[in-house]
Amino acid sequence: MSRFKDLQKNLFGGTTSNARQFGMIATLVGIVLIFQIWTNGLTLRSDNLIALFNQNSYILILAIGMLMVIVAGHIDLSVGSVAAFTGILVAKSMAEWDLPWPAAIVFGLVIGAAIGAWQGFWVAYIGVPAFIVTLAGMLLFRGGNQYIGNANTIPVPEGFRKIGSGFLPEVGPSTGYNNLTLLLGLAACLAVIWRELQSRKTRREMDADPAPMWISILRMAVMVGVIVFASLRFASGRVGTSFPISGIILVALVLAYSFYTRNTAGGRHIYAVGGNSRAAELSGVKLKRVNFFVMMNMSILAALAGMIFVARSAASGPQDGNGWELDAIAAVFIGGAAVSGGIGTISGSIVGGLVMAVLNNGLQLQGVGTDKVQIIKGLVLLLAVALDVYNKRQGRFSIIGSLTRGLRRDTPSGAPPSSSDAGREPARTTVSG
Amino acid sequence: MRNFLAKTVAIGAIATLALTGCGSGRDGDSDSGSAGSAKGFAADSLIGVALPSKTSENWVLAGDLFTNGLKEAGFKSDVQYAGASTTVADQQAQITAMVTKGAKVIVIGATDAAQLSTQVAAAHAAGAKVIAYDRLITGTPDLDYYVAFDNFKVGQLQGQALLDGMKAKKPNGPYNIELFSGSPDDNNAGVFFNGAMSVLKPEIDKGNVVVASKQTDVKQTAIQGWKAEGAQARMDQLLTSTYGGNKALDGVLSPNDTLARAIITSIKGAGKPIPVVTGQDSEVESVKSIMAGEQYMTINKDTRNLVKQTIAMIQALQKGDKPEINDTKSYNNGSKVVDTYLLPPVAVTKANAAEAYANDPKLGPLTK
Amino acid sequence: MNAAAPILLEMRSITKEFPGVKALADVNLVVRAGEIHAICGENGAGKSTLMKVLSGVYPYGTYDGQIVYQGAETRFSDIRASEHAGIVIIHQELALIPDMSIAENIFLGNEPRKRGAIDWKAANRMALDLMARVGLQEDPDTLIKDIGVGKQQLVEIAKAFAKDVKLLILDEPTAALNEADSRHLLDLLRGFRSRGITSIMISHKLNEIEAIADQITILRDGRTVETLNIQDGVDEDRIVRGMVGRELSSRFPDHTPKIGEVFFEVRDWNVRHPISAERQVCKNESFVVRRGEIVGFAGLMGAGRTELAMSVFGRSYGVFESGTIVKDGKEIVLKSVADAIAHGLAYVSEDRKALGLNLLDDIKASTVAAKLSKISRHGVLDEVREYQAAESYRRDLRTKAPTVDEGVAKLSGGNQQKVVLAKWMFTDPDLLILDEPTRGIDVGAKYEIYGIIQRLADQGKGVIVISSELPELIGLCDRIYTVFEGAITGELARADADPETLMKQMTSTKKMQTR
Repeated sequence: MSRFKDLQKNLFGGTTSNARQFGMIATLVGIVLIFQIWTNGLTLRSDNLIALFNQNSYILILAIGMLMVIVAGHIDLSVGSVAAFTGILVAKSMAEWDLPWPAAIVFGLVIGAAIGAWQGFWVAYIGVPAFIVTLAGMLLFRGGNQYIGNANTIPVPEGFRKIGSGFLPEVGPSTGYNNLTLLLGLAACLAVIWRELQSRKTRREMDADPAPMWISILRMAVMVGVIVFASLRFASGRVGTSFPISGIILVALVLAYSFYTRNTAGGRHIYAVGGNSRAAELSGVKLKRVNFFVMMNMSILAALAGMIFVARSAASGPQDGNGWELDAIAAVFIGGAAVSGGIGTISGSIVGGLVMAVLNNGLQLQGVGTDKVQIIKGLVLLLAVALDVYNKRQGRFSIIGSLTRGLRRDTPSGAPPSSSDAGREPARTTVSG
Repeated sequence: MRNFLAKTVAIGAIATLALTGCGSGRDGDSDSGSAGSAKGFAADSLIGVALPSKTSENWVLAGDLFTNGLKEAGFKSDVQYAGASTTVADQQAQITAMVTKGAKVIVIGATDAAQLSTQVAAAHAAGAKVIAYDRLITGTPDLDYYVAFDNFKVGQLQGQALLDGMKAKKPNGPYNIELFSGSPDDNNAGVFFNGAMSVLKPEIDKGNVVVASKQTDVKQTAIQGWKAEGAQARMDQLLTSTYGGNKALDGVLSPNDTLARAIITSIKGAGKPIPVVTGQDSEVESVKSIMAGEQYMTINKDTRNLVKQTIAMIQALQKGDKPEINDTKSYNNGSKVVDTYLLPPVAVTKANAAEAYANDPKLGPLTK
Repeated sequence: MNAAAPILLEMRSITKEFPGVKALADVNLVVRAGEIHAICGENGAGKSTLMKVLSGVYPYGTYDGQIVYQGAETRFSDIRASEHAGIVIIHQELALIPDMSIAENIFLGNEPRKRGAIDWKAANRMALDLMARVGLQEDPDTLIKDIGVGKQQLVEIAKAFAKDVKLLILDEPTAALNEADSRHLLDLLRGFRSRGITSIMISHKLNEIEAIADQITILRDGRTVETLNIQDGVDEDRIVRGMVGRELSSRFPDHTPKIGEVFFEVRDWNVRHPISAERQVCKNESFVVRRGEIVGFAGLMGAGRTELAMSVFGRSYGVFESGTIVKDGKEIVLKSVADAIAHGLAYVSEDRKALGLNLLDDIKASTVAAKLSKISRHGVLDEVREYQAAESYRRDLRTKAPTVDEGVAKLSGGNQQKVVLAKWMFTDPDLLILDEPTRGIDVGAKYEIYGIIQRLADQGKGVIVISSELPELIGLCDRIYTVFEGAITGELARADADPETLMKQMTSTKKMQTR
């Protein structure tokens, strides 16, 4: 077998999660490089990278929750309003009731949980479609925001602003870089290497051949390279700036939720409910509890996103949260989730969100107006999903499909299929779907 | 195999170094901006202009004037409007992008006065000067200048015109009026309203002027987002609730032309005679309306003059001079008193329209 | 029948490839005018693919080979083209719109028009005429959802007649029908034959084929094996030999039951319909299961067997009213599916695709889906244990798939059923309830599944088998309950069970004295 085939099979078609993620990152890197060239190097300059994370972390946090909602077969249109509603209450709690800011954050999360419980109750226990419940929530909490805030802008104190516009502090000896960011990068490198080795071990325990060693090393080298590059960039921002705190919150959430959705029983249940809710119920999955959880979780994350935005804007305003739901939903679908539920990954959604973010940022750096940016983003969303649908129907290599679920490995490897039924099935699924 | 591996790793390492090599220089201590004010900057530097969404003619006109004016002055310009729905987030991102691109001066027509302090701080830290255009940016010590029309004066002119107009139609009071104010997230809206009330309040107290609906609080009169449909809906409701039957409505204080026309539309729809309605901005449709005898007045805040003044300030900054300011006391944004240049507004009614717009290529012909 | 009749259709060396799979290789089919031509083969042999090629679902150009119809080569670009030529295919899943009337469905896409508007008078008149031809006595304004599956099938056929059919293709026409409806349908096909209409019928029910077909073409692994003429004395065993390529000495594996004590008992079970509360779907039903025993539940469609099974399985159907469940001498209350699983119950649904599997999953995830706790610690899944469990069941049950990473949607019916069985075996149940475990599964796989069921019983588990196929129940079960209209009407030991007795009890409201 030639090396190229090895590479093709293991890099894009491998079963290990690393291969999947590697494919995703490659797609994003392509877009970044295009803009890097087009903007004469502005895209990857440290201040721009920092701004990119600062500007988009709250949308990406929403995308995490939205992915789970969409995988479970629902949708949440209320996230922007919930974020705005929480934002104004939290801002008020600090400005008027003198709540210390850490308590205000907890207060905000509690509001999110309460709203989530409200929406989850209607969706899971009464059975009102989430589209309706959250459409109602969108009006309800937007109105609530205006009622409470009187459409005023309420500033928030300095300490609170840290979660939206703060950075890792400068500590330790002067190295010309932000030391904590460097340490973070180092930890990430070690984690990548550890995971690759771990996954090789897992493959061996499954009696499956792990990818050839050189591919593992190549994969690690590329990942480590990207991390080293990114952390040096973030660490070399203007003094006082480095890796943003909102970015750290985002990364922590991405890691935690990725683990939850991939590696725990609870996460598996979400996919089961979205894939076939009746079958899941008859397998002992507590349908109502899963639906309640995803809706509630979404509102908590929306509350967090709202607070981060308020912190970044230094004030809560009446325009907060406008149109966020659409950005989050777009990120999830560009990231390969299925409208009918059951399919999608956190990392895919993050990449989907980053694709939109880089696009937005790059076009802005080029001085393209928001009107045109919106047109371009609309087309990108349509084309990304259309391409995915088309490729799935043709049974061809699907970029986004490979990003989300990994390729059905038998197709490229040419192994004899399980039965000649395999040919029948795609046609049938298109008929029924 | 081994050879290939070694090569791959080597290429990866080199690429990483190459990419990172250029970025290792870290900017020194902050505040390079304030220290550099004496030196100025290159004459062909980039100037960023971030304006709100294209909801009023005025902003579109300002954008065009900036684009052309900055070009004539020899600068490179980047003029951006916020999107229609995600205004604040868009503007934040646009300002950040301008900083990244190395703009030396950033002119901001804020969508939300209080939600830009982080970006203004970043701009300041990167050494760019920030000028708040038309709308003050609050809660930040990093704002350098504010340039605007005297908005309190605008309000006063509106209030006075309202009284004059009503007196001209009907010599004696009491007059029934209704009050409208602009978007509560726009810092100027309150200033207009207060200016107008400084004239109207004494008359209301005397009982000469009556707000028949009793809605005199700024929270009741505000129109979110300066939206025409909001004003029209509120006027519809006022007409039903307060002006049923033959009760006369003599005047409406409207903060700008867009709202004024929406208010007139509503009144016409109800079949009532058009009262004295104030306005602001000298929008084409409103000037036509004034000439047709419907809207009573508007304010001419010639955007040309404001943009001209802003560009003059930028040119002074470029040379390292201190730009001309005429107010160092009035505009406290919550963190500091901002150095301000105020331009005088002009009240325009049918009587003086021809004179006021004589130099305006678009409005001038309408007055003939 | 009449081998000299002119050839209506000839498909020559049809080859159809999907990415990575050759679904049809060099298939030949000759159909003579006025005959009933059966196509047999195991699931995945290529029957449906062949019919899709014929009807233009796979248009000309996407396959190799030639189709000669009525003496000329045809190149259908889509279904409309083939329908225009008089070839109409009736799929297993009926293509009717439930909320439209019979007449509306018959003329859907083919509405009789007068000056541009639909002429409903004419439509109803023509519908009545067409319905008479298929022996359907209903008001043409009746909604589809208000008539039974058997009659819906007839509507489909009437719809075909509305298109002036010359060649009628039926894909598993009796799969969803009860005995009486099936018989009616077969009679109808005979009537068509006498009127010169040619039919192609795909079916798994070999007795029906034997009874009705003139010619039988057998496909295996995408190739034509042979075409048999019924007049040459073809019987079921002969067809099976052609389909599986070997003699099946017996349809059921040999088995000596090792039956123990009663360990599971349902007493006085009463359940009401989930929507119309006045309907009682389980009427005072009681039954027992012994360790190592395979217990059959016989009944007509709609007798309430599935409802009984699902209501016992954690009240997953209907509104529970009264009744007790005793397991190992102790009364247990199963309020949810999770309770039922925890108490060692398993239920394999009759509808694999809708209720049994998440078709988006791979074999691995499907296998462990009903008991994730077994492969996880503190809620965190162990991938290795998941893989090992799935892999051992794959080997054990001989599921045909390259690896356990294969998506279940790609498996054939028999292999999907094996995955569902594995999923429930993985929960270590004491009692397995199998609802129509071999529906839509080909002969070879059926045999294997019977073997699995027997092995489970031999491990001391109790097994309940619900089936509409009496031979299956008689061949497999140690004891059979009969159910009619929500009540248990009888109980027969294997030795006493024969189709006639069972059928009598399945259709009698009178509760028989058995014990």
